[in-house]
Amino acid sequence: MKARSSIERQMARLAGGLVAPSWFLILAVFALPILGAVWLSFRNETLGAFAPPKFIGFENYSTAFADPRFWESIRTTIWLTVLGLLVQIPIGIGLAVILERNLRGTQMFRTILIIPMLLTPVAVGLMWRFMFDTDLGVINWALAALGLDGPNWLGSRWGAIWAVVIVDSWQSIPFIMLIVLAGLAGLPKGPLEAATIDGANAVQVFFYVTLPALGPVILVTLMIRIIDSLKMFDLIYIITTRGGPGTATQTLGMLIYNTGFGFFQTSRAAALGILMVLMVLPIYWLWQRAARRG
Amino acid sequence: MTKTKRLLGAAVLATTFGMPALAEELNLYLIPSPSSTAIQSFIPAFTEKTGITVNVTEVPYGEAHQKLLLSVQQGQGQYDVAQYDNTFLAPYGAAGTMLPLDAWIAASAEYDIADFATGQQDYGKYNGQTLGLTLSTEPMIQWYRTDIYADLGLQPAKTWDEYMANAKAVKEAGKGDGAMFGWGPNASWWWMTLVWSFGGNLYDADLNPTVNSAEAVAATQFFKDMLAFGPEGGISATGDDVTNKFLSTELGAMVQYSGYWGMALDPANSMHAGKIGTAPMPMGAADITHLAGWNIGIPKDAKNPEAAWQFMEFVLGKSNAKPYLLAGAAAIGRNSISSDAELLAIHPYLPLLNIPASSRIERYPQIRVWPEFEKAVLDALPAMLNGEVEIQAGLDALNETLKPILAAEAAN
Repeated sequence: MKARSSIERQMARLAGGLVAPSWFLILAVFALPILGAVWLSFRNETLGAFAPPKFIGFENYSTAFADPRFWESIRTTIWLTVLGLLVQIPIGIGLAVILERNLRGTQMFRTILIIPMLLTPVAVGLMWRFMFDTDLGVINWALAALGLDGPNWLGSRWGAIWAVVIVDSWQSIPFIMLIVLAGLAGLPKGPLEAATIDGANAVQVFFYVTLPALGPVILVTLMIRIIDSLKMFDLIYIITTRGGPGTATQTLGMLIYNTGFGFFQTSRAAALGILMVLMVLPIYWLWQRAARRG
Repeated sequence: MTKTKRLLGAAVLATTFGMPALAEELNLYLIPSPSSTAIQSFIPAFTEKTGITVNVTEVPYGEAHQKLLLSVQQGQGQYDVAQYDNTFLAPYGAAGTMLPLDAWIAASAEYDIADFATGQQDYGKYNGQTLGLTLSTEPMIQWYRTDIYADLGLQPAKTWDEYMANAKAVKEAGKGDGAMFGWGPNASWWWMTLVWSFGGNLYDADLNPTVNSAEAVAATQFFKDMLAFGPEGGISATGDDVTNKFLSTELGAMVQYSGYWGMALDPANSMHAGKIGTAPMPMGAADITHLAGWNIGIPKDAKNPEAAWQFMEFVLGKSNAKPYLLAGAAAIGRNSISSDAELLAIHPYLPLLNIPASSRIERYPQIRVWPEFEKAVLDALPAMLNGEVEIQAGLDALNETLKPILAAEAAN
């Protein structure tokens, strides 16, 4: 018995030794920068050397709370997230349901649908920016061909918000579709067949059997997309040129970038970053719970 | 006097650097641009002449300035020569990022600072010290379509009223859009130019914002009124978009930095090559020239400052001024090349770079908080241009927003 626990101890030490490099790496890559950012957020460091660096307590946080740009950026972030999800989740699920039926041409259609997900966001942003151009863009040209007056996509607040939502949806719907498709493939066929035998039509089967069964998968997808939307940066940077017009599409992530790398206010940006992490944490916690349930 | 200055400069240099042996390697920090490409074309000749190997790091504009600030703060001596936008001169100056070049300049007959117009000699100066040589001279000038103007019997505008009248004439004649500013994400470039030109200022000598003055209101109103003569999507046009639309659509005129001329030369970009004329920017209540462009200097932690100066002097000196432009660089306003026939065939606007002494040169405001100041302006303008906010009210609010920003500048 004693010999066995000694072996166990040795094994535990060995396991600890083998895992240690990974822990070290995680500490170095994740924990230390986060701790560094927390430390930075309590100071007045700037890249432009505005004043001698010193500890200033919660001043950067109180400055953020007093800054209308902070609250506006949160509102914009929420708008972009909510609108994005309202567009992406139904379309993603709908496409997954259609593709799951394995109709003719499904393989090709699936491949085509996945392409946007494979493209780099910067290239996607540049491409769509040209397409949204009021004078030279293909979107307003197509709308005009249909007899419709295209909006000034990037020159008005809501035009710009919808432009970002459209591009983000174009890139994200394939991801949702793939996840839901995997969820559908894993569903037991029994309940579906039983519902059909009991006389349920396709719509009833979908809403009363398939969708509830997909609940955990959809929840995880939702959480991932919410986190993605909250930290969306590259598309906005390119499409609306750093959150324009004015502050119309300046999300919290964009505000952090503008503060840190535009105004050189490193510590203020760090405080905003910490606030953003605190905002995302509950969603991450929900995601973990949903993933465990799934 | 010049000789005395040179001797004095040489003495200062000798004292400061103890005449060190020249380095065998130089590291350049450049930002992708025609100027950067032209600089690199001189590297083989420089290496052949001096035996110094030159390495180049190109960093995109969006991150270049922050990265250089960080690099110099770390003091690793990564770069010996660095290109930067003149808008970053003040942040660099305040942070002590660049070495003063005055002693070298004073001692260099090859660089010959006197070859620049008086106002332009200070282009790289911050707090009385020259922290960067002029890498490009890019005043806002008037660009117009010679074919459209000839058809309608129009002349390049001398005043803003004429500029609007020309735009109206082009639009009403069905020749295309009348004229354009960049009303979008770079609107600050044109807006502040107009404020200065209309006789206003962005702030006073005590760093109090003055963007809600009567002159600024009139300038903003004009800026907004011109929207009616521009392309429909003008309100979201970036600086690049303005030039692209001018070169690829039917547009009578634009006011734009001369540095964009390279795009007009390229048939891939321009549908109107050979049909573009340039003229001085129209004048308002004040005769001002808004001057922008690149600088190039020596980072404080450079390992080989002497060799760095030698390189800059070689590329940007008087002898290579013409080859430098022929290599595709944005033009530099040197008097000695402004009437060169070969260069004029490529850069017809060269004489406009010799800004007359009567015109007050306005650089981007040389304040450390400029990026934050500019963002506040850019945040405020769209609502005024869209008509959501009345101009006086919008500028009053902007003035209040700018107070704490400028107070931070004044406090340090």
